[in-house]
Amino acid sequence: MLLNRESSGKRWRIRPDGLGKVTGRLAYLTDMSAAGMLYGRVLRSPYPHALILSICTEKAQQLEGVHAVLTHLDVPGLNRYGIAHQDQPVFCENKVRYVGDAVAAVAAETAELAEYALTLIEVDYELLPIVDDAELALLQDAPLLHPQGNLLHRSQFNRGQLGSGFAACTHIVEDTYFTPRQMHTYMETEGGLFVPEEDGRLTVYSPTQHGFMDRLQLSRITAMKQERIRIVSSPIGGSFGGKDELNVQPYGALLALKTNRPVKLHHSRWESVRAGLKRHPMKISMKTGTDASGHLLAHQVRIIADTGAYATLGAEVLNFAVEHVLGPYRYDHVKVDGYSVYTNNGMSGEFRGFGGNQAIFALEGQLDRLAEKLGMDPWELRRMNMRMPDDPGPFGQPIVVTEGAMQVWNAAEASGLWQERGMPNREEEREPWIKVGIGSAFTMHGGGLGVGIPDPAGGRLLLAADGCIEAIFGYEEFGQGLLATLALMLIEQFGLAESDIRMIIGDTDLVPDSGSTTASRATSMMWKTLQNLKAPFTSQLLERAAELLGKSADKLAMGAGGIYETAGDSLLLTYKELAEAKGERISCSTAFQFPTSDTPRTGAHFLYTYAAVVVKVEINQLTGRVRVLDQYHAVAAGPVMNPQGFLGQIEGGSSMALGFAITEDAVMQQGQYMTKNLDTYLVPTIVEHRGTVSVEPIEHLPHGDSFGPRGIGEVGSVTLAPAIAAAIHQAVGIRVTKLPIEPELLQNDCAFAFAEEAVSKR
Amino acid sequence: MSKHEMLGAPRGAEQSELACTINGEEMKLEVAGARRLLSVLRDDLALTGTKRSCEIGRCGACMVLVDGKPINACLTMAYQCAGKQITTIEGIGAADGGMDPVQRAFLEEGGFQCGYCTPGMIISVKALLDRSPDPSEEEVEEALSGNICRCTGYGGIKRAAQRAIEWRREAP
Ligand code: FES
Ligand code: FES
Repeated sequence: MLLNRESSGKRWRIRPDGLGKVTGRLAYLTDMSAAGMLYGRVLRSPYPHALILSICTEKAQQLEGVHAVLTHLDVPGLNRYGIAHQDQPVFCENKVRYVGDAVAAVAAETAELAEYALTLIEVDYELLPIVDDAELALLQDAPLLHPQGNLLHRSQFNRGQLGSGFAACTHIVEDTYFTPRQMHTYMETEGGLFVPEEDGRLTVYSPTQHGFMDRLQLSRITAMKQERIRIVSSPIGGSFGGKDELNVQPYGALLALKTNRPVKLHHSRWESVRAGLKRHPMKISMKTGTDASGHLLAHQVRIIADTGAYATLGAEVLNFAVEHVLGPYRYDHVKVDGYSVYTNNGMSGEFRGFGGNQAIFALEGQLDRLAEKLGMDPWELRRMNMRMPDDPGPFGQPIVVTEGAMQVWNAAEASGLWQERGMPNREEEREPWIKVGIGSAFTMHGGGLGVGIPDPAGGRLLLAADGCIEAIFGYEEFGQGLLATLALMLIEQFGLAESDIRMIIGDTDLVPDSGSTTASRATSMMWKTLQNLKAPFTSQLLERAAELLGKSADKLAMGAGGIYETAGDSLLLTYKELAEAKGERISCSTAFQFPTSDTPRTGAHFLYTYAAVVVKVEINQLTGRVRVLDQYHAVAAGPVMNPQGFLGQIEGGSSMALGFAITEDAVMQQGQYMTKNLDTYLVPTIVEHRGTVSVEPIEHLPHGDSFGPRGIGEVGSVTLAPAIAAAIHQAVGIRVTKLPIEPELLQNDCAFAFAEEAVSKR
Repeated sequence: MSKHEMLGAPRGAEQSELACTINGEEMKLEVAGARRLLSVLRDDLALTGTKRSCEIGRCGACMVLVDGKPINACLTMAYQCAGKQITTIEGIGAADGGMDPVQRAFLEEGGFQCGYCTPGMIISVKALLDRSPDPSEEEVEEALSGNICRCTGYGGIKRAAQRAIEWRREAP
C-alpha cells in the first residue's frame, strides 16, 4: 500500500518540533546570540597547494575592536582533527593543501570588523604544483600532499578466479562511470555560538551529528578535560553527513577561550562551499560478464575516489563503495580494487549514501548493458541473478536474513509505472523532440558503521520529578524526524499520551553517548533501546504503583496519563503522583553495539535495507534536458516507525538523487571552486521535482526477526540516478556514464530539423 | 596604520534613521547605510525566523513580505524599507497568537523536515494566496521556484500548498 496521509491514518501526526518550525520561533543554534558576544572569522588559504613561509598577525592584532587573532601557535592541544584519522590541521603550520585550509582566525566586535581584520593578516606563500586529478596523484612522480604519499587507503576484495570466470563468459560489458562532487547544501550553513562559562567550562552550541565525538575532538584541541566541555547540538537545519566532522567548532572554541567572551561564527555560503565536505567524486571502471543465458559469472571493478586534502572518512567511504559495487547479486568470480586518493581538490567526506550512490550507479548500469547484449528484459536479468534470503552478504559475510531483495523486485514489477512500460507509447501527443522513457534500478544498502568500527548505541528512560517520562538519547534532530519517530514509538509501545513524554537529545551534559546519528542507524537503535527498556522500566513503574495502591503489579498497566487497572478502564494513579512517591528515581538505561556480522572484514554490514525505483522521464532533444515525470520507490526496511518521516526521507532522498543525476556538480579547476554559490551550483527546485513520488514500504520481516526497523535515511538517495539512466536509454537509446548528465549528450540534430519543420508549419 | 590600509576598512558605517513598520509595529531604527534588511531583522531585532542561507537571492530562506510582496531580505538594503510595511514569519500568525492557515497546512501535511526553508516557503505561499486565491499548480510552482528546500523533496510542500488552497476555497 502506498504511503501517504490517508493510508497512515492516526499514525500521521504533527511533529513535536513542527510548531516552532512553521512559526519561525524555533531557534537554530546559528540563530543564537549572547550579550557581549564577539564575531569570529577564519582566514583560509587562497591557494590549493602552497608552503607557508610566514604569517604576520601584528596589524590585525592592533586593530581596535579585535580581541583575538589566532594561528597554529595558539592551539593549546592537538592541532589536528578528524573522526577516524586526525590529520586535518586546525590551523596550517607550514603548508596548505586546499582552498578551505585555515591559517588564522579572528574575533572582533562586529562581523565587518572581523572580516576586515582578516585582510590585515599577512601570509607569505610559496606555490606548489597542484594535484587535481586523483588518477595522476597516484603516479610515481606526482607531487606529494602528505609525507606518506597520496594514497589514503586501498581496499580490495577477491573471490574465485577472474581469468577463468571471464573466459567462461558469453557476454561481457565494460564501461567507466564518473560521478560528481556533490555538495550537501544544507540550507543552514555551518556555525554556532561558543560560550565560556563562569566556572571555566565551555559550552558549544553548534550543529553536529555526534555531540560526544565533537566533545572528544575539542578536548584534544583545547587540552581541556572532556567533562569541561558541553556540546549542545540540535536542532539542525540539515546535515546529510556534512556536519559530522568538526567545521567551525575548533575556531569558535579557541576564540571563546582566548577572549573569555561568547563568540559567534556563521559561515557564509561561499565559505561553506570552500571549506565544507562534498561527496567523493569517483571514477569506477567495471567489466562484467554472463554466460549465454544471463547468469553473472565475473565482475571486475576499479574505483578511484578523490578524497581531497585530508582523510576524514575517506577510507570508510571507499570500503562502503567496495561492498556496494557488488550489490545484491550472485557471482563466483569477483575482483574489486579501490583507491582513495589525496588531491588538492576540496574535501570529500561523509554524505548520505556513503559511497553507495556512486557504486550503485555503476553497477546498475552494467546490468542494463548486459541485458541489452542478451536481448533480455533488464528487470528479469536482475531477478535471475539476485541474492536469495539465505545468501551471504556481498563479501560472503553472514547477514540477517530477509526477503527484501525479492520483495522490492516484485513490488516494482507490479507497480503501475513499470507496467506502463509495456503499453503503447503515445508519441503523437508530444512534440516530436520530446521523448519519454521508463527505467528502474535496484539496491541493497547497509546500515550502521560495520565491522571493526566502534558503533555504540543506547539510551535512558526516566520518570522525572514532574511526572513526565523522559526519553534521553544522544542522537540529533537534523530534520529527519527523529523526535517525531521517538515520540510515536513511546506512544505506541508504552501506551503513553504525548503530554506524558519529554524527549531530551543533543546535549552532552544530559544525554548518554548513543553513538553517531549517521549511517541510517538512529531509528533502528532507538527502537532496540526501547525494546530493551520496556520490560524493566514498566515493571519498576508498576511495582512502585503496586506498593502505593496496595494492588498486585500484574493487575496494573501503563497508559495515557498514568497507571490503569488492567481489568477496568480507570486511571488509578497519575505519573505525577507516582513521581512524587518516596523512593529512588525510577530510571533504566541500556547500552549496546549496533549489530555486526561475524566476519573480520572491516566495514562489512549485517543489516541491509532494500529498495527498487521505477522512474519515468522526459527528454527534450532540443535542450538535452531531462525531466523526471514520476517516481515509484519500493523500500523494504521492516515496520514503518513514523509514516510522515518515512515518506519525507524517501521523497527528500530522491530529490537529492535527482540533483546528483541531472544538475549538481561542485566544479573545480586547478583546485579552485568554480561554483561558489547556489546560482551556479544547482540543486533541484520545485520545478525540477515534478510529478509524484509514490512510496511503498514493505514492512514484512521474516518470522522471529529481532532487528526490527532498518534505516531509511540514505536508501532513498541511492537508486534514482541509475533508474534515470535506464529510462534515458529506453527513451533515446543513449547510455549515460557520467553524472550529472550532460545535456549535450542528449541533444539531437534530427530534433532540430523536426523543430524547424514544426515552426515553419505554424 | 597606513592610509592605504584604512581604505579597506569597513565602510557604510554611518548610521541613519529608518522608520518602517515591522510585524504591525511602527519602528524607528538606527541603521548603517550598508546594512541589509536580513541582518537588521536577524541581528538587531532578533527576528531569527527569517533565515540566512545563500545571501544572493537564490534560495528564498530569507523571504519576507514588504507591502505584501515577497522579497528576498538578503538582497534588500535596509534603507529601501523606509516607510514600508514588513512582515516576517513571526508576524504571519493571527493577532491572537494563532496560526495562519498556510502555517497550519505545512504543519499538518508535514511540508518540512529540518524546517530551515520553511519560514520562506510559508511567506511565498502566503503571498501567492493573497494575490491569487485559487492558483493553478503551475502558479504554485512558479511562486515557489525561488525557494529551495534541501530536505523534503517538495512533495510535502506541494501538498501543504494544495491544502492551504483548499481551505481557502472552502472558507465562506
Ligand atoms: S538568503 Fe536570501 S535568497 Fe538565499
Ligand atoms: S526542510 Fe530542510 S531545507 Fe526545507
